[in-house]
Amino acid sequence: MFPDDLYYTEDHEWIRDEGSEYVVGITSYAVEQLGDITYVELPELGADVIRGETVATVESVKAASDVYSPVGGHICEVNDFLESRPELVNEDPYGEGWFFKLDSVRVSELNKLMKADAYEAYIKSLEK
Amino acid sequence: MSDIGGEILPQKTPFYDQHVALGGKVVDFHGWLLPLQFRGILEEHRHTRESVSVFDCSHMAEFRLVGRDAIQEYDRLFTANLTNLPVGRGRYGAILNDQGRILDDVISIRLAEEELFVVSNAGPASRISALLTSLKHPAEDVSGLTAKIDVQGPRSREVLEKAGLTVVSELGYFSARRTSWRGLPLVVTRMGYTGELGFELYIPWESASDVWTWLLQLDGVMPAGLGSRDTLRLEMGYPLSGQDFDDTKTPLEASQSRFVDWEKDFVGKEVLVEMRRAGGYAQLVGFSAPDRRAPRTGYTLSVSGEPVGMVTSGTFGPSVGYGIGLGYVGSDFVTPGTRLMAGPKQLPVEVVSVPFYKQGTCRR
Repeated sequence: MFPDDLYYTEDHEWIRDEGSEYVVGITSYAVEQLGDITYVELPELGADVIRGETVATVESVKAASDVYSPVGGHICEVNDFLESRPELVNEDPYGEGWFFKLDSVRVSELNKLMKADAYEAYIKSLEK
Repeated sequence: MSDIGGEILPQKTPFYDQHVALGGKVVDFHGWLLPLQFRGILEEHRHTRESVSVFDCSHMAEFRLVGRDAIQEYDRLFTANLTNLPVGRGRYGAILNDQGRILDDVISIRLAEEELFVVSNAGPASRISALLTSLKHPAEDVSGLTAKIDVQGPRSREVLEKAGLTVVSELGYFSARRTSWRGLPLVVTRMGYTGELGFELYIPWESASDVWTWLLQLDGVMPAGLGSRDTLRLEMGYPLSGQDFDDTKTPLEASQSRFVDWEKDFVGKEVLVEMRRAGGYAQLVGFSAPDRRAPRTGYTLSVSGEPVGMVTSGTFGPSVGYGIGLGYVGSDFVTPGTRLMAGPKQLPVEVVSVPFYKQGTCRR
Protein backbone atom coordinates (compact mmCIF):
# COMPACT_ATOMS: atom_id res chain seq x y z
CA MET A 1 0.00 0.00 0.00
CA PHE A 2 2.84 2.43 0.84
CA PRO A 3 6.14 2.40 -1.10
CA ASP A 4 8.85 0.30 0.59
CA ASP A 5 11.76 2.62 -0.18
CA LEU A 6 10.49 5.54 1.92
CA TYR A 7 10.58 6.60 5.57
CA TYR A 8 7.38 7.99 7.09
CA THR A 9 6.39 10.37 9.89
CA GLU A 10 3.34 10.33 12.14
CA ASP A 11 2.34 13.60 10.47
CA HIS A 12 2.19 11.84 7.08
CA GLU A 13 5.31 13.16 5.41
CA TRP A 14 7.58 10.76 3.51
CA ILE A 15 11.30 11.05 2.80
CA ARG A 16 13.34 9.18 0.21
CA ASP A 17 17.12 8.64 0.25
CA GLU A 18 18.48 9.46 -3.21
CA GLY A 19 22.16 9.24 -2.32
CA SER A 20 23.41 12.77 -1.85
CA GLU A 21 19.91 14.24 -1.44
CA TYR A 22 16.69 13.36 0.34
CA VAL A 23 13.28 14.06 -1.28
CA VAL A 24 10.28 14.95 0.92
CA GLY A 25 6.53 14.88 0.21
CA ILE A 26 3.23 13.95 1.81
CA THR A 27 1.71 10.47 1.78
CA SER A 28 -1.24 9.18 -0.22
CA TYR A 29 -3.09 8.87 3.10
CA ALA A 30 -2.59 12.61 3.76
CA VAL A 31 -3.70 13.39 0.22
CA GLU A 32 -6.84 11.30 0.62
CA GLN A 33 -7.69 13.08 3.87
CA LEU A 34 -7.12 16.51 2.35
CA GLY A 35 -9.01 15.97 -0.90
CA ASP A 36 -8.38 18.28 -3.85
CA ILE A 37 -5.24 20.30 -3.13
CA THR A 38 -5.51 23.94 -4.17
CA TYR A 39 -2.36 25.62 -2.84
CA VAL A 40 1.13 24.65 -1.70
CA GLU A 41 3.43 27.07 0.10
CA LEU A 42 6.99 25.78 -0.25
CA PRO A 43 9.95 26.32 2.09
CA GLU A 44 12.59 28.92 1.45
CA LEU A 45 15.42 27.62 -0.69
CA GLY A 46 18.69 27.48 1.24
CA ALA A 47 17.09 27.40 4.67
CA ASP A 48 18.50 25.19 7.40
CA VAL A 49 15.67 23.35 9.13
CA ILE A 50 15.38 21.10 12.15
CA ARG A 51 13.31 17.96 12.56
CA GLY A 52 9.63 18.75 13.12
CA GLU A 53 9.95 22.37 11.98
CA THR A 54 7.01 23.76 9.97
CA VAL A 55 8.45 24.18 6.51
CA ALA A 56 5.48 24.19 4.13
CA THR A 57 1.71 24.56 4.03
CA VAL A 58 -0.72 22.58 1.98
CA GLU A 59 -4.28 23.77 1.41
CA SER A 60 -7.20 21.83 0.02
CA VAL A 61 -10.77 22.88 -0.65
CA LYS A 62 -11.58 21.62 2.84
CA ALA A 63 -8.63 22.59 5.05
CA ALA A 64 -5.13 24.00 5.49
CA SER A 65 -2.36 21.88 7.03
CA ASP A 66 1.25 22.42 7.98
CA VAL A 67 4.01 20.22 6.59
CA TYR A 68 6.93 19.45 8.91
CA SER A 69 10.45 18.50 8.00
CA PRO A 70 10.91 14.78 8.78
CA VAL A 71 14.59 15.34 9.65
CA GLY A 72 16.99 18.23 10.06
CA GLY A 73 18.93 19.42 7.03
CA HIS A 74 19.40 22.08 4.39
CA ILE A 75 16.73 22.86 1.78
CA CYS A 76 18.58 22.46 -1.50
CA GLU A 77 15.67 22.34 -3.95
CA VAL A 78 11.91 23.04 -3.96
CA ASN A 79 9.29 21.80 -6.40
CA ASP A 80 8.26 25.09 -8.00
CA PHE A 81 5.76 23.32 -10.26
CA LEU A 82 3.43 22.94 -7.28
CA GLU A 83 2.83 26.68 -7.18
CA SER A 84 1.00 26.61 -10.49
CA ARG A 85 -0.05 22.95 -10.42
CA PRO A 86 -0.88 21.95 -6.82
CA GLU A 87 -3.00 19.09 -8.20
CA LEU A 88 0.25 17.20 -8.91
CA VAL A 89 0.21 16.28 -5.20
CA ASN A 90 -3.15 14.54 -5.69
CA GLU A 91 -2.11 12.90 -8.94
CA ASP A 92 1.33 11.63 -7.97
CA PRO A 93 2.16 12.14 -4.27
CA TYR A 94 5.36 10.02 -4.35
CA GLY A 95 6.56 11.29 -7.73
CA GLU A 96 5.83 14.63 -9.39
CA GLY A 97 4.04 15.82 -6.26
CA TRP A 98 7.23 15.99 -4.14
CA PHE A 99 7.67 19.15 -2.04
CA PHE A 100 11.38 19.78 -1.42
CA LYS A 101 14.83 18.20 -1.23
CA LEU A 102 17.25 18.21 1.69
CA ASP A 103 21.00 17.76 1.86
CA SER A 104 23.35 17.86 4.88
CA VAL A 105 20.74 15.64 6.49
CA ARG A 106 21.06 14.39 10.05
CA VAL A 107 21.09 10.74 9.08
CA SER A 108 20.69 9.54 12.68
CA GLU A 109 17.22 11.10 12.70
CA LEU A 110 16.11 8.93 9.77
CA ASN A 111 16.20 5.86 11.99
CA LYS A 112 13.53 7.39 14.21
CA LEU A 113 11.07 7.36 11.31
CA MET A 114 8.72 4.53 10.30
CA LYS A 115 9.25 2.08 7.47
CA ALA A 116 6.31 1.25 5.18
CA ASP A 117 4.92 -1.65 7.24
CA ALA A 118 5.07 0.35 10.48
CA TYR A 119 3.38 3.31 8.80
CA GLU A 120 0.67 1.06 7.43
CA ALA A 121 0.04 -0.33 10.93
CA TYR A 122 -0.02 3.24 12.24
CA ILE A 123 -2.66 4.24 9.65
CA LYS A 124 -4.76 1.22 10.61
CA SER A 125 -4.59 2.31 14.26
CA LEU A 126 -5.81 5.79 13.26
CA GLU A 127 -8.75 4.41 11.34
CA LYS A 128 -10.02 2.30 14.22
CA MET B 1 -23.98 18.66 23.16
CA SER B 2 -23.99 16.06 25.89
CA ASP B 3 -23.56 12.40 25.08
CA ILE B 4 -25.45 11.22 28.17
CA GLY B 5 -28.25 8.92 27.14
CA GLY B 6 -26.45 7.32 24.25
CA GLU B 7 -25.69 8.62 20.80
CA ILE B 8 -28.32 9.44 18.23
CA LEU B 9 -27.82 7.42 15.07
CA PRO B 10 -27.61 9.49 11.90
CA GLN B 11 -30.46 9.06 9.44
CA LYS B 12 -30.27 7.80 5.87
CA THR B 13 -31.89 9.46 2.88
CA PRO B 14 -33.61 7.27 0.23
CA PHE B 15 -30.42 7.53 -1.86
CA TYR B 16 -27.96 6.37 0.77
CA ASP B 17 -27.28 2.94 -0.79
CA GLN B 18 -26.84 4.55 -4.20
CA HIS B 19 -24.34 7.06 -2.77
CA VAL B 20 -22.31 4.23 -1.29
CA ALA B 21 -22.49 2.19 -4.53
CA LEU B 22 -21.27 5.22 -6.51
CA GLY B 23 -18.25 5.56 -4.24
CA GLY B 24 -19.53 8.60 -2.38
CA LYS B 25 -17.54 9.65 0.69
CA VAL B 26 -20.36 9.73 3.23
CA VAL B 27 -20.31 12.06 6.24
CA ASP B 28 -22.69 12.96 9.07
CA PHE B 29 -24.24 16.33 8.28
CA HIS B 30 -26.62 17.57 11.00
CA GLY B 31 -27.62 13.97 11.77
CA TRP B 32 -27.91 12.84 8.14
CA LEU B 33 -25.57 10.51 6.24
CA LEU B 34 -24.82 12.43 3.06
CA PRO B 35 -22.09 12.31 0.41
CA LEU B 36 -19.34 14.88 0.86
CA GLN B 37 -18.01 14.07 -2.61
CA PHE B 38 -17.99 11.41 -5.31
CA ARG B 39 -15.14 12.08 -7.77
CA GLY B 40 -13.75 15.15 -6.03
CA ILE B 41 -15.02 18.55 -4.96
CA LEU B 42 -13.25 20.49 -7.72
CA GLU B 43 -14.54 18.25 -10.48
CA GLU B 44 -18.10 18.28 -9.14
CA HIS B 45 -17.94 22.06 -8.76
CA ARG B 46 -16.75 22.52 -12.35
CA HIS B 47 -19.31 20.08 -13.71
CA THR B 48 -22.15 21.99 -12.00
CA ARG B 49 -20.95 25.33 -13.42
CA GLU B 50 -20.57 23.89 -16.93
CA SER B 51 -23.14 21.11 -17.26
CA VAL B 52 -25.60 19.59 -14.75
CA SER B 53 -25.30 17.84 -11.38
CA VAL B 54 -27.72 16.23 -8.95
CA PHE B 55 -27.52 16.84 -5.21
CA ASP B 56 -29.32 14.82 -2.53
CA CYS B 57 -30.97 17.44 -0.32
CA SER B 58 -33.43 15.08 1.40
CA HIS B 59 -32.11 16.21 4.77
CA MET B 60 -33.95 19.49 4.38
CA ALA B 61 -37.30 19.96 6.13
CA GLU B 62 -40.63 20.69 4.44
CA PHE B 63 -43.93 21.91 5.85
CA ARG B 64 -47.40 22.33 4.42
CA LEU B 65 -49.83 25.02 5.53
CA VAL B 66 -53.38 24.90 4.28
CA GLY B 67 -56.11 27.52 4.64
CA ARG B 68 -56.31 31.28 4.84
CA ASP B 69 -56.01 31.34 8.63
CA ALA B 70 -52.96 29.08 8.68
CA ILE B 71 -51.21 31.24 6.09
CA GLN B 72 -52.09 34.39 7.99
CA GLU B 73 -50.75 32.99 11.25
CA TYR B 74 -47.52 31.82 9.55
CA ASP B 75 -47.14 35.23 7.90
CA ARG B 76 -46.53 36.66 11.41
CA LEU B 77 -43.40 34.46 11.68
CA PHE B 78 -41.89 35.17 8.25
CA THR B 79 -39.78 38.27 7.57
CA ALA B 80 -40.76 38.66 3.90
CA ASN B 81 -44.16 39.53 2.48
CA LEU B 82 -46.59 36.70 1.80
CA THR B 83 -49.88 38.52 1.22
CA ASN B 84 -48.80 39.73 -2.22
CA LEU B 85 -47.08 36.45 -3.17
CA PRO B 86 -48.78 35.04 -6.28
CA VAL B 87 -49.64 31.39 -6.71
CA GLY B 88 -46.65 29.53 -8.17
CA ARG B 89 -44.07 31.84 -6.64
CA GLY B 90 -41.67 31.44 -3.73
CA ARG B 91 -39.99 33.95 -1.46
CA TYR B 92 -36.83 33.76 0.63
CA GLY B 93 -36.88 35.06 4.19
CA ALA B 94 -36.29 34.07 7.79
CA ILE B 95 -38.13 32.93 10.90
CA LEU B 96 -36.92 34.84 13.96
CA ASN B 97 -37.29 34.41 17.70
CA ASP B 98 -38.83 37.22 19.74
CA GLN B 99 -35.34 38.70 20.12
CA GLY B 100 -35.09 39.13 16.35
CA ARG B 101 -32.47 36.37 16.07
CA ILE B 102 -32.59 33.90 13.15
CA LEU B 103 -34.07 30.49 13.96
CA ASP B 104 -33.62 29.57 10.31
CA ASP B 105 -33.75 30.96 6.81
CA VAL B 106 -36.61 29.45 4.83
CA ILE B 107 -38.26 29.55 1.44
CA SER B 108 -42.04 29.97 1.48
CA ILE B 109 -43.85 28.93 -1.69
CA ARG B 110 -47.50 29.52 -2.55
CA LEU B 111 -48.51 26.33 -4.32
CA ALA B 112 -52.21 27.23 -4.41
CA GLU B 113 -54.32 30.19 -3.31
CA GLU B 114 -54.63 28.70 0.18
CA GLU B 115 -51.63 26.40 0.36
CA LEU B 116 -48.06 27.20 1.38
CA PHE B 117 -45.03 24.93 1.10
CA VAL B 118 -42.20 25.91 3.46
CA VAL B 119 -38.64 24.59 3.13
CA SER B 120 -36.13 24.90 5.98
CA ASN B 121 -32.70 23.49 6.85
CA ALA B 122 -31.69 20.25 8.59
CA GLY B 123 -29.83 21.81 11.54
CA PRO B 124 -32.71 23.75 13.12
CA ALA B 125 -35.39 21.40 11.68
CA SER B 126 -36.67 20.08 15.02
CA ARG B 127 -37.09 23.59 16.42
CA ILE B 128 -38.81 24.88 13.30
CA SER B 129 -41.03 21.81 13.25
CA ALA B 130 -42.00 22.26 16.91
CA LEU B 131 -42.82 25.90 16.22
CA LEU B 132 -44.84 25.41 13.04
CA THR B 133 -46.75 22.31 14.14
CA SER B 134 -47.83 23.92 17.40
CA LEU B 135 -49.46 26.97 15.80
CA LYS B 136 -53.17 27.54 16.39
CA HIS B 137 -53.57 26.51 12.75
CA PRO B 138 -50.73 24.00 12.70
CA ALA B 139 -48.52 23.20 9.73
CA GLU B 140 -48.08 19.62 8.63
CA ASP B 141 -44.45 18.49 8.84
CA VAL B 142 -44.01 16.54 5.59
CA SER B 143 -40.22 16.15 5.89
CA GLY B 144 -40.46 12.40 6.47
CA LEU B 145 -42.61 11.98 3.35
CA THR B 146 -40.57 14.22 1.11
CA ALA B 147 -37.23 13.58 -0.56
CA LYS B 148 -35.49 16.44 -2.34
CA ILE B 149 -33.15 16.34 -5.31
CA ASP B 150 -31.53 19.51 -6.62
CA VAL B 151 -30.76 19.41 -10.33
CA GLN B 152 -28.32 22.26 -10.89
CA GLY B 153 -26.33 23.58 -13.80
CA PRO B 154 -26.76 25.47 -17.08
CA ARG B 155 -27.90 22.28 -18.84
CA SER B 156 -30.52 21.37 -16.19
CA ARG B 157 -33.53 22.75 -18.08
CA GLU B 158 -32.60 21.15 -21.38
CA VAL B 159 -31.90 17.77 -19.80
CA LEU B 160 -35.08 17.65 -17.67
CA GLU B 161 -37.27 18.86 -20.52
CA LYS B 162 -35.86 16.20 -22.82
CA ALA B 163 -36.59 13.59 -20.15
CA GLY B 164 -40.25 14.61 -20.12
CA LEU B 165 -40.36 16.96 -17.14
CA THR B 166 -41.68 19.69 -19.42
CA VAL B 167 -42.88 21.99 -16.63
CA VAL B 168 -39.31 23.28 -16.22
CA SER B 169 -39.60 25.34 -19.40
CA GLU B 170 -42.45 27.33 -17.81
CA LEU B 171 -40.72 28.08 -14.53
CA GLY B 172 -39.22 31.51 -13.98
CA TYR B 173 -36.69 32.25 -11.25
CA PHE B 174 -38.26 31.61 -7.80
CA SER B 175 -41.28 29.87 -9.33
CA ALA B 176 -42.82 26.52 -8.43
CA ARG B 177 -45.40 24.05 -9.78
CA ARG B 178 -47.04 20.87 -8.64
CA THR B 179 -46.81 18.35 -11.46
CA SER B 180 -46.14 14.71 -12.19
CA TRP B 181 -43.28 12.92 -13.90
CA ARG B 182 -43.48 9.35 -15.17
CA GLY B 183 -46.54 8.86 -12.97
CA LEU B 184 -45.02 10.29 -9.81
CA PRO B 185 -46.50 13.38 -8.14
CA LEU B 186 -43.92 16.03 -7.35
CA VAL B 187 -43.33 19.67 -6.66
CA VAL B 188 -40.77 21.33 -8.93
CA THR B 189 -39.25 24.65 -7.94
CA ARG B 190 -36.58 26.89 -9.44
CA MET B 191 -34.78 28.45 -6.50
CA GLY B 192 -31.18 27.20 -6.59
CA TYR B 193 -28.25 27.52 -4.22
CA THR B 194 -25.35 27.21 -6.65
CA GLY B 195 -25.72 30.34 -8.76
CA GLU B 196 -26.54 28.25 -11.81
CA LEU B 197 -29.85 27.59 -13.49
CA GLY B 198 -31.40 24.80 -11.46
CA PHE B 199 -34.49 22.99 -10.30
CA GLU B 200 -35.45 21.28 -7.06
CA LEU B 201 -37.60 18.17 -7.17
CA TYR B 202 -39.69 17.36 -4.08
CA ILE B 203 -40.76 13.76 -4.44
CA PRO B 204 -42.54 11.07 -2.39
CA TRP B 205 -39.94 9.50 -0.08
CA GLU B 206 -40.93 5.88 -0.84
CA SER B 207 -40.47 6.15 -4.61
CA ALA B 208 -37.59 8.61 -4.52
CA SER B 209 -34.75 6.21 -5.28
CA ASP B 210 -36.22 5.58 -8.76
CA VAL B 211 -36.02 9.28 -9.54
CA TRP B 212 -32.34 9.44 -8.55
CA THR B 213 -31.70 6.52 -10.92
CA TRP B 214 -33.65 8.17 -13.76
CA LEU B 215 -31.75 11.41 -13.34
CA LEU B 216 -28.35 9.74 -13.35
CA GLN B 217 -29.22 8.01 -16.61
CA LEU B 218 -29.75 11.35 -18.34
CA ASP B 219 -27.09 12.67 -20.66
CA GLY B 220 -24.32 14.48 -18.78
CA VAL B 221 -25.91 14.30 -15.31
CA MET B 222 -23.37 13.54 -12.56
CA PRO B 223 -23.89 13.21 -8.80
CA ALA B 224 -22.37 15.90 -6.59
CA GLY B 225 -21.89 16.13 -2.84
CA LEU B 226 -21.98 18.59 0.02
CA GLY B 227 -18.39 19.70 -0.63
CA SER B 228 -19.09 21.25 -4.02
CA ARG B 229 -22.48 22.48 -2.83
CA ASP B 230 -20.54 24.49 -0.27
CA THR B 231 -17.95 25.91 -2.69
CA LEU B 232 -20.69 26.76 -5.21
CA ARG B 233 -22.86 28.60 -2.68
CA LEU B 234 -19.88 30.38 -1.19
CA GLU B 235 -18.80 31.72 -4.59
CA MET B 236 -22.29 33.25 -4.75
CA GLY B 237 -21.89 34.75 -1.28
CA TYR B 238 -24.94 32.84 -0.03
CA PRO B 239 -24.75 32.38 3.76
CA LEU B 240 -25.36 28.93 5.24
CA SER B 241 -27.71 28.52 8.20
CA GLY B 242 -25.86 27.23 11.27
CA GLN B 243 -22.53 28.27 9.77
CA ASP B 244 -22.78 31.95 8.80
CA PHE B 245 -25.68 32.78 11.10
CA ASP B 246 -27.69 31.16 13.86
CA ASP B 247 -29.99 32.22 16.67
CA THR B 248 -27.43 34.72 17.94
CA LYS B 249 -27.67 36.91 14.81
CA THR B 250 -30.36 39.17 13.41
CA PRO B 251 -31.00 39.49 9.65
CA LEU B 252 -29.36 42.93 9.84
CA GLU B 253 -26.14 41.44 11.19
CA ALA B 254 -26.34 38.57 8.68
CA SER B 255 -26.69 41.13 5.84
CA GLN B 256 -30.13 39.76 5.02
CA SER B 257 -32.09 42.96 5.47
CA ARG B 258 -33.21 42.93 1.83
CA PHE B 259 -35.31 39.89 2.76
CA VAL B 260 -37.09 41.81 5.51
CA ASP B 261 -40.36 43.56 4.72
CA TRP B 262 -40.36 46.59 7.03
CA GLU B 263 -43.99 47.38 6.17
CA LYS B 264 -45.39 44.21 7.71
CA ASP B 265 -45.52 42.91 11.27
CA PHE B 266 -43.53 39.83 12.26
CA VAL B 267 -42.10 38.23 15.40
CA GLY B 268 -38.81 39.92 16.34
CA LYS B 269 -39.44 43.07 14.33
CA GLU B 270 -39.18 45.53 17.26
CA VAL B 271 -35.61 44.38 17.98
CA LEU B 272 -34.67 44.81 14.32
CA VAL B 273 -36.20 48.27 14.10
CA GLU B 274 -34.26 49.36 17.17
CA MET B 275 -31.02 47.80 15.93
CA ARG B 276 -31.40 49.52 12.57
CA ARG B 277 -32.03 52.85 14.29
CA ALA B 278 -29.04 52.50 16.64
CA GLY B 279 -26.67 51.19 13.92
CA GLY B 280 -23.08 50.28 14.73
CA TYR B 281 -23.60 46.51 14.67
CA ALA B 282 -21.12 43.99 13.25
CA GLN B 283 -22.15 42.64 9.88
CA LEU B 284 -21.54 39.68 7.59
CA VAL B 285 -19.33 40.63 4.63
CA GLY B 286 -17.54 38.83 1.83
CA PHE B 287 -13.79 39.09 1.35
CA SER B 288 -11.28 37.75 -1.12
CA ALA B 289 -7.61 36.75 -0.92
CA PRO B 290 -5.01 37.84 -3.49
CA ASP B 291 -4.14 34.25 -4.42
CA ARG B 292 -5.15 30.61 -3.96
CA ARG B 293 -4.68 30.69 -0.18
CA ALA B 294 -8.04 30.60 1.59
CA PRO B 295 -9.37 32.19 4.75
CA ARG B 296 -10.81 29.44 7.01
CA THR B 297 -13.72 29.17 9.40
CA GLY B 298 -12.73 30.50 12.82
CA TYR B 299 -9.86 32.69 11.62
CA THR B 300 -9.68 36.04 13.40
CA LEU B 301 -9.96 39.09 11.14
CA SER B 302 -7.78 41.98 12.21
CA VAL B 303 -6.71 45.49 11.23
CA SER B 304 -3.30 46.77 12.39
CA GLY B 305 -3.04 43.83 14.77
CA GLU B 306 -6.41 44.57 16.43
CA PRO B 307 -9.14 41.94 16.07
CA VAL B 308 -12.21 43.29 14.25
CA GLY B 309 -14.08 40.11 13.39
CA MET B 310 -14.19 36.42 12.59
CA VAL B 311 -14.39 34.22 9.48
CA THR B 312 -17.50 31.99 9.38
CA SER B 313 -16.94 30.33 5.97
CA GLY B 314 -13.88 30.17 3.77
CA THR B 315 -12.53 28.18 0.87
CA PHE B 316 -10.60 28.30 -2.35
CA GLY B 317 -13.11 29.43 -4.97
CA PRO B 318 -12.63 27.00 -7.87
CA SER B 319 -14.35 29.18 -10.50
CA VAL B 320 -12.82 32.48 -9.41
CA GLY B 321 -9.36 31.02 -8.76
CA TYR B 322 -8.64 32.66 -5.41
CA GLY B 323 -9.48 32.33 -1.72
CA ILE B 324 -12.89 33.65 -0.62
CA GLY B 325 -14.76 33.93 2.64
CA LEU B 326 -17.66 35.28 4.65
CA GLY B 327 -17.36 36.66 8.14
CA TYR B 328 -18.49 39.25 10.64
CA VAL B 329 -16.64 42.55 11.00
CA GLY B 330 -17.32 45.69 13.02
CA SER B 331 -19.36 48.41 11.32
CA ASP B 332 -16.23 50.45 10.53
CA PHE B 333 -14.86 47.69 8.32
CA VAL B 334 -17.78 46.67 6.07
CA THR B 335 -17.01 48.95 3.12
CA PRO B 336 -15.72 47.18 -0.02
CA GLY B 337 -12.01 47.84 -0.39
CA THR B 338 -11.33 47.57 3.35
CA ARG B 339 -8.16 45.55 3.93
CA LEU B 340 -8.09 42.95 6.70
CA MET B 341 -5.70 40.26 7.88
CA ALA B 342 -7.06 36.75 8.37
CA GLY B 343 -5.81 33.99 10.63
CA PRO B 344 -2.56 33.06 12.32
CA LYS B 345 -0.53 33.56 9.14
CA GLN B 346 -1.98 37.02 8.47
CA LEU B 347 -3.46 36.27 5.07
CA PRO B 348 -4.30 39.65 3.50
CA VAL B 349 -7.95 39.84 2.39
CA GLU B 350 -10.10 42.63 1.03
CA VAL B 351 -13.80 43.24 1.66
CA VAL B 352 -15.69 42.88 -1.62
CA SER B 353 -19.34 42.90 -2.63
CA VAL B 354 -20.80 39.46 -3.33
CA PRO B 355 -21.32 37.40 -5.42
CA PHE B 356 -17.66 36.56 -5.93
CA TYR B 357 -18.63 34.62 -9.05
CA LYS B 358 -20.60 36.82 -11.43
CA GLN B 359 -21.16 34.56 -14.44
CA GLY B 360 -23.85 32.35 -12.85
CA THR B 361 -26.77 31.25 -15.03
CA CYS B 362 -29.45 31.17 -12.30
CA ARG B 363 -31.59 33.89 -13.85
CA ARG B 364 -31.16 32.76 -17.43
